[in-house]
Amino acid sequence: MMFAAPWLLLALAGLPVLWWLLRVSPPAPRTQVFPAVRLLVGLPSTEETPARTPWWLLALRLLAAGLVIVGLAQPVLQAGGALAGSGLVLLVVDDGWAAATDWPRRMAAADAVLDRAARAGRAVALLTTAPDGDGAAPKLTPAMPASAMRARLAALRPQPWPVDRAAAGAALRAAKAGGARPDAAVFYLADGLADAAWDAFAAALAGMGAVTVLRDAVAPARLLLAPVAAADGFAVTLAQVPEPVAATVGVLAQTGDGRTLARVELTVPAGAATGTAQLDLPAELRNRLSRLALEGPASAGGVALLDEGFRRRPVGLLAGDATNAEAPLTGPLYYVKRALGPYAELREGDLRGLLARELSVLVLADRVVPDGPERALLSAWVEHGGLLLRFAGPATAEHPDGLLPVPLTGGDRQLGGAMSWTQPAGLAAFPPGLFAGLSVPADVRVNRQVLAAPGAQLAGQTWASLADGTPLVTQAARGAGRIVLFHVTANADWSDLPLSGLFVDMLRRVVAQAVGVAGADAAARLAPVESLDGFGQLGAPPPAAQALTGAELAAMPVGPRHPPGLYGPESGRRALNLANRLALPVAAPALAGAEEAPMGSALREQALAPWLLALALGLLAVDLLLALRLRGLLWAAGLAVLLAAGPVQAQQAGGQPALATRLAYVLSGDADSDGRAQAGLLGLSDYVNRRTNADLADPVGVALGEGDLAVYPLLYWRVGAESAGLSAAAVAALNGFMAHGGIVLIDTAAGGAATGFSSGPDANLQRVTAGLAVPPLAPLTSQHVLARSFFLLQDFPGRYTGDVVWVQRDQDRSNDSVSPVIIGGNDWASAWAVDAQGRNPYATLPGGARQRVLAYRFGVNLVMYALTGNYKGDQVHVPAILERLGQ
Amino acid sequence: MEQSSQRARRAEALGARLPPLQVAAARVAATVWQGVHGRRRAGVGEGVWQFRPYLAGDEARRIDWRKSARADGLIVRETEWEAAQTVCLWRDGSPSMHWRSKAAAEEKGARADLLLLALAALLLRGGERVRLLGSAQVFSGAGGLERMAAALPGLAAEDGLPAPAAPVPRHGRVVLIGDFLAPSEAIAASVGRLAALPTTGHLLQVLDPAELVLPYHGRVRFTGLEQEVPTLVRRVDGLRGAYAARLAAQQQHLATIAAGVGWGYGLHQTDHAPETALLALYLALSGERAGR
Repeated sequence: MMFAAPWLLLALAGLPVLWWLLRVSPPAPRTQVFPAVRLLVGLPSTEETPARTPWWLLALRLLAAGLVIVGLAQPVLQAGGALAGSGLVLLVVDDGWAAATDWPRRMAAADAVLDRAARAGRAVALLTTAPDGDGAAPKLTPAMPASAMRARLAALRPQPWPVDRAAAGAALRAAKAGGARPDAAVFYLADGLADAAWDAFAAALAGMGAVTVLRDAVAPARLLLAPVAAADGFAVTLAQVPEPVAATVGVLAQTGDGRTLARVELTVPAGAATGTAQLDLPAELRNRLSRLALEGPASAGGVALLDEGFRRRPVGLLAGDATNAEAPLTGPLYYVKRALGPYAELREGDLRGLLARELSVLVLADRVVPDGPERALLSAWVEHGGLLLRFAGPATAEHPDGLLPVPLTGGDRQLGGAMSWTQPAGLAAFPPGLFAGLSVPADVRVNRQVLAAPGAQLAGQTWASLADGTPLVTQAARGAGRIVLFHVTANADWSDLPLSGLFVDMLRRVVAQAVGVAGADAAARLAPVESLDGFGQLGAPPPAAQALTGAELAAMPVGPRHPPGLYGPESGRRALNLANRLALPVAAPALAGAEEAPMGSALREQALAPWLLALALGLLAVDLLLALRLRGLLWAAGLAVLLAAGPVQAQQAGGQPALATRLAYVLSGDADSDGRAQAGLLGLSDYVNRRTNADLADPVGVALGEGDLAVYPLLYWRVGAESAGLSAAAVAALNGFMAHGGIVLIDTAAGGAATGFSSGPDANLQRVTAGLAVPPLAPLTSQHVLARSFFLLQDFPGRYTGDVVWVQRDQDRSNDSVSPVIIGGNDWASAWAVDAQGRNPYATLPGGARQRVLAYRFGVNLVMYALTGNYKGDQVHVPAILERLGQ
Repeated sequence: MEQSSQRARRAEALGARLPPLQVAAARVAATVWQGVHGRRRAGVGEGVWQFRPYLAGDEARRIDWRKSARADGLIVRETEWEAAQTVCLWRDGSPSMHWRSKAAAEEKGARADLLLLALAALLLRGGERVRLLGSAQVFSGAGGLERMAAALPGLAAEDGLPAPAAPVPRHGRVVLIGDFLAPSEAIAASVGRLAALPTTGHLLQVLDPAELVLPYHGRVRFTGLEQEVPTLVRRVDGLRGAYAARLAAQQQHLATIAAGVGWGYGLHQTDHAPETALLALYLALSGERAGR
């Protein structure tokens, strides 16, 4: 253990002073409320208590202070030893693709080196061995303090291309030539792979000073080679540095959105450099794949991108006799189309039209291509990688052309039949080749075929033959492409083969053998679209990335100018993979004279300061609690915490009227009127809660224009003779409320009494409601929904009875035909009102329990009307609907 | 769930119209009434005083028709002449009453309210008229207790003693409930003024158990509830004896003051059952009346 700031430990000498100070200052007395305090005043105290801090509290505080001092001195556990050399600390980092798998460990190791350099006060220089994203060759950074280097190091990312040790070695030599002294402490974070320039690099490294190689043997660099398309999927190959034990790795086949469709276990045998596995996938699934990736730590080396070449294989169909090519059961293309339809994209047309577009396979069914421009076109297409699949037939037998894998003898051979001794022949087991492994059905018979001219190459060119050894399917490579000939027709004229399931399997394997269409155009320049980063994630290409042609793509080694990734337009995207032209990984030999250390060794160094300070804080918190407890204030502190949380909740409950359904009334400013409204709505809410399923909370008064009215279904508004007019905001609020389904019950509370004597309330009503969008009104009748929404009512009394109640005249479908305003003068609130004792404080006029019951019933109807709209209105039509249904 | 909880709240609100204090007071009063009932029927019932022949001028409704049917003439029933007594009740509402220690279940003020209402319940049941000292309203009859419970919180919080201007009927009964921790001269003056009206009465001192035994330890700063000067006691344990002596002296003063004007004096601790104190108080009042 060592201290980064040891002089701070001198403060420990001050602890005894602190002890003395704490000891002589007594803790604060606890406070006690006591009513009989008058009796206590002036009482003589019989004994003096030793007002001293308890010893354990003293120990706690001293310990906390000591921890703070020791923590500030920044102790470091197991600090690394002294650095070699005396000058610069040189950090050399391999940041190629092979370093990505354990990149965090590498960065931690580099950080540890920086820590040691910082403590030793030595400057640090950094050399990364891979070219950066701009394509610049590796270069030594200027020497700088470790703190400044830390930011650079944090920005460092592994590159998706290999390291360039030749350039790195050159950079070291240049530094040496520029006057760097060979007394540096060199730390080399190696990726463990060697390349051609390894020896020169190692020598340049050793020339800088004492070298320490930090490397881990845990995760060997693995490289996923480009997969090879096979009949039912891919052959996946993994390359790695040969290891003494076999390693098994999972390979995931993933779609563009990251879903894994298949997983295969790949085993690299002990001591082998590569391992291969077969990944079988149906064609439909295979077409969805966009990449293969290794399980485990992400790295650009563990990702193989798949482009269109692995997926789309358009097949062109062309028959010799185009007129009956499609004829059911007899047409030459009938069986081919059904065999390939599910697995490939089929195209038809004339030869020029077909070849004008990208094409992977061309099927010619007994179609002879005579010399001429068509033949030249077709030959060029095959030379460039096209797969020509031909079926024999009478025309081919008659006039064999030059585009055949093997020379044919003239005419055809008939097996069986009236004029022949021979029997129709079956198939022999498939020789090694494309069809190897397919089972041979016993019932396939071949009646006629064209015969290949015997030759030395014939056996090697034969993919299938008859039981007597005559070739049935022959093939020959032409340039990058291939020609395959079935020696029978594509329909059932000459053989049973097209009728069997074997035919489908054979055609599928042939098409899978073909090169994808993406390989077709070699001259167009393809711009980089997305590129892999060092961790195998697709992203924007680095600034130095350049476009390249399809031909170059096949042969280009990756680097900053050509990062691994996707190139070209959306329709014909091509993949450039890291493993494209990369040599198999080779283990780097040990550096002569260098010290080797595992990366983890630098990790164990641990700063204790945060822990000590945290512990001191904890102790001080305990001390605070203890001090509060000694003073009897612990409960007060807890209460304070609760109170701090309390008002928030209270505010939530009071400030959110939407949490429960409730009635509301308009605050008028007149205490008596508001009291009646409050008591009335409270009584109505109680009545509704008792009588119906509705569950109303206590009513509230609202000031118009303040707060949102939308949470209230019903607004009760008493307009007296002296009510003041509405402000603009209030008018807007009420109009909005009515327009969006709210109901305003306007009560002049003047029913009967004022009629004929004073027009005060009614005149004032007109004045007050002048700005409101009140629709045309009509008297409320017993036919209205309001009269039958819960109880069946004939009249609508409140405290008074007999006054006309007005509702909207017209039906307004937009608002569910609910009247937005109800106007009357029966003073309903007074009839509904209850006081604190549950009594009705206002007598009804002319009186009687019946009138009050009817008033409550009107209120229930009103609430139901507000809550359910014209639901009951629909019920009016039920008899008519039933009658109609009955017919 | 939401609905039922809301209904429960509503029911609670309805129940709140009958305050729990009033219920508790009625319960305490009922217990004591049962105890009294077995020994002696106190109070003035509807007892029959005498029957006498009908004389011209008697009210027709006073004729006992059943008795008259058995006799020849009309018989008039005369009931006992009942003069209801007015009892003035007062309880200390000052801040020092709103305090309790850990040993007590409720505050002194709450206990005083309970005792006052329970006593009122007993008195009302006995047909007495009850009023609150400091309020002109007179309560009687069955609904009196409810009205009194509603009026009780409206009484002004005074400084530990009845206001000098409080109207009290002459020859009434006065019951003062409080902690009486004020200086004894002030108490003597207040009680003396009431006794001079003249009235008779009773002092009930309600104290928290902590005020009796001072159950604190170590270094404590005592603060009062009525703007008293805080007192720092270095070691409470050494002070306990002196405090007990001073409290005993205060109680002795109270007893002396009460005895001097012919009043009763009692002590009640809030950790004891209220029934005991109520029974003693009620018997003391009944005894006064019986002895008169």
